[in-house]
Amino acid sequence: MRTLERKKAFWGFTFTMPAIVFFAVFSFYPMANAFWTSFFRKELLSLKPPKFVGFNNYIYLFRSEDFWNSMKATAIFAFGTFVPMVVFSLVFAALILTRKRFQKFLQMAYYSPAVLSSVVAAAIWLLIFDPRGLSNQFMNFLFNTNGVDYHWLSNENMLRLATIIVYFWKYVGYFTIIFVAGMASIPRSVHEAATIDGANRWQDFWYITLPLIKPTTLLVSVMSMIQCLRTFSTQYLFVQGGAPLKPIDVITLNIYNTAIRDRQIGRASAMSVILFLIIMSFSYLQMKVSKTENITY
Amino acid sequence: MKWVTLVMVLSLAIVIFAAQIEIIVWTHEDPNRTPLEERYIQEFEKMYPNVKITRVTYPSAKIREVVLTAFAARKGPDIFNMEIQDAYPYIVNERVAPVNLSALGLRSFDELKSLYVEGALDAVTYQDKIYGLPLELTNWCVFVNKKYFREVGLDPEKDYPKTWEEMMQVSEKLVIREGQIIKRRGFDFRYPYYLTFFLPMVEQLGGTLFSEDGKTAIVNDEAWLKVLKFMKDWGPNGKNLGSPTYTAARKEFNKDNNTVAMCLSGLYQIDRIKAENPDFYNSKEWMVVPFPVFKDAVKDVRCNYYGHYYMVNAESSKEKQEWAWKFINYMLNHPEDYLLNVGLIQPKMSLIESDTFKNYPYAKVFLQDMEKAHIVPLHPKGPQFEQLIKEAIESVMLTTATPEEALRVLKKKANELLKEE
Repeated sequence: MRTLERKKAFWGFTFTMPAIVFFAVFSFYPMANAFWTSFFRKELLSLKPPKFVGFNNYIYLFRSEDFWNSMKATAIFAFGTFVPMVVFSLVFAALILTRKRFQKFLQMAYYSPAVLSSVVAAAIWLLIFDPRGLSNQFMNFLFNTNGVDYHWLSNENMLRLATIIVYFWKYVGYFTIIFVAGMASIPRSVHEAATIDGANRWQDFWYITLPLIKPTTLLVSVMSMIQCLRTFSTQYLFVQGGAPLKPIDVITLNIYNTAIRDRQIGRASAMSVILFLIIMSFSYLQMKVSKTENITY
Repeated sequence: MKWVTLVMVLSLAIVIFAAQIEIIVWTHEDPNRTPLEERYIQEFEKMYPNVKITRVTYPSAKIREVVLTAFAARKGPDIFNMEIQDAYPYIVNERVAPVNLSALGLRSFDELKSLYVEGALDAVTYQDKIYGLPLELTNWCVFVNKKYFREVGLDPEKDYPKTWEEMMQVSEKLVIREGQIIKRRGFDFRYPYYLTFFLPMVEQLGGTLFSEDGKTAIVNDEAWLKVLKFMKDWGPNGKNLGSPTYTAARKEFNKDNNTVAMCLSGLYQIDRIKAENPDFYNSKEWMVVPFPVFKDAVKDVRCNYYGHYYMVNAESSKEKQEWAWKFINYMLNHPEDYLLNVGLIQPKMSLIESDTFKNYPYAKVFLQDMEKAHIVPLHPKGPQFEQLIKEAIESVMLTTATPEEALRVLKKKANELLKEE
């Protein structure tokens, strides 16, 4: 019996080894390296050895106006995107499952933007948000106005909203599909029992579906929060397209500019370590808050 | 016998391939330059069969980061070129090799300098050595679509804007709006290259980026304020004549599709018009006029020029470096081809004094402006200073910030950056 277990363990280890090696080389090593580099002052182009500066890079960042602006921009974007993303993906999933026809088509339609590369998506939306683009035309049609420029890319708040719209549009379908899968895994008999007990559709959703998809909700909220905090391409492309940097200078963009434009890789690494800790603590907090018990049917 | 021959042929092939030197060239995309340089590669490889040249192109906006990350990983190409303000830190950090004079058949750097227009190699001269050879020196002038001038009752030959104040007046006549949305811009700037076009505007009024001793940044508040105010008036919160959020004016200009009447660009724009819109090119409905100057300017300075210099990786082997300089020299020995096919000005005496250059459309306008201009400021933190200026301009153009507030922030940040170790 023991030999069989050992054999199983051996083969299990053998099959997971490639994934472990892959993770170690492409994820863990860069993470550890960034952590180490964050204690050095290193100019990307300089051939001089990096200078150990202890926590100076962190101290510099905590005193830097630009860093706090990035924290603000990231927080606005993350919460502005995360909340509607989770709520709407849940609503869309529920709507899809109530349809008797075209369920597959609707799932495909919602999911399709997620297939597009972020760069292409941002480039398309840049054209839409151009002052002469579709967004202004649509708003003017909606409010029955003529030639009003809603300053999608030039007004601070509108610009933030524009990046949120792009991200929401791109990822809401992806999370909708996850919710659809979660909801579909609830056995029909549970809903039928609720209906026999006199529950209406709303009560069925609120008291049966929602509690039973708690693990899915947790997964979606952790994943979408991480996704939102790591946003980059939309903001990068919008700035390249002429939008002002400050309102959308999210941490990832600041990391990029500090490393590539300013060539300060130590400082950029310190910022990425801070972002890593923020993501870790949010994920931990979400898991703690929504302690889930295993659901079995 | 057959086997022996086969083995000998194979061995010979192995020896040839083993001895082959591969030179990697990274350069920015320029559709008109690619066929020309591909031809030079073929010719060079024919002359020297042991050398293989691999030319890779990257979009202009991308090449800066691609080259930087490659050099950071110590895997840079053997030859590369970038705008000089981006390439300058490579010289200061000793990442590029000085010109190999013997590969060029020259005896001294002075002899090399004598082949070029005075000052053309200053940007790549560091500690008495020269670190690059110019592919192009570019300044920008104003391209005008004459048709749109006539449409609003202006005579393009006489009424083209000579001052920035006139630029605003003329643009107000040319602009077509639908409500607040601009359908046709009179003129628009070349965002976000602020060190190239914005800084000379400040200098015309007596301001500078750095003090003479280099210890203070943003000198002469009055000059900076006036130009920031001009930009605020230009933007959507002012007279609404243009904005960085519209499609680049120089791209729209070539289309001749009633979206822009004037733009800022270099001599190379002429070849791009020819390639993209031959009808417009042949219509002669376009012309080039000098970079405007403020009415009360204290200094007649025109749009800064920038350069693209071919440089060689200092970490390539000595042998590769030598072949790299030989190849660069071979390409750059065809300045007339570069002018006629790509519209690039190589600041070589032989070209500037040639009839080809003198007869090239509008070359005189560009040259006269260049004589009154200087190169973009070169500083190891140049891109950061440009970013700070960008923030200041965008804050006045696109937000409610006043020029005074924007200047206060710019001055504070720029001086902090200057003092940073």
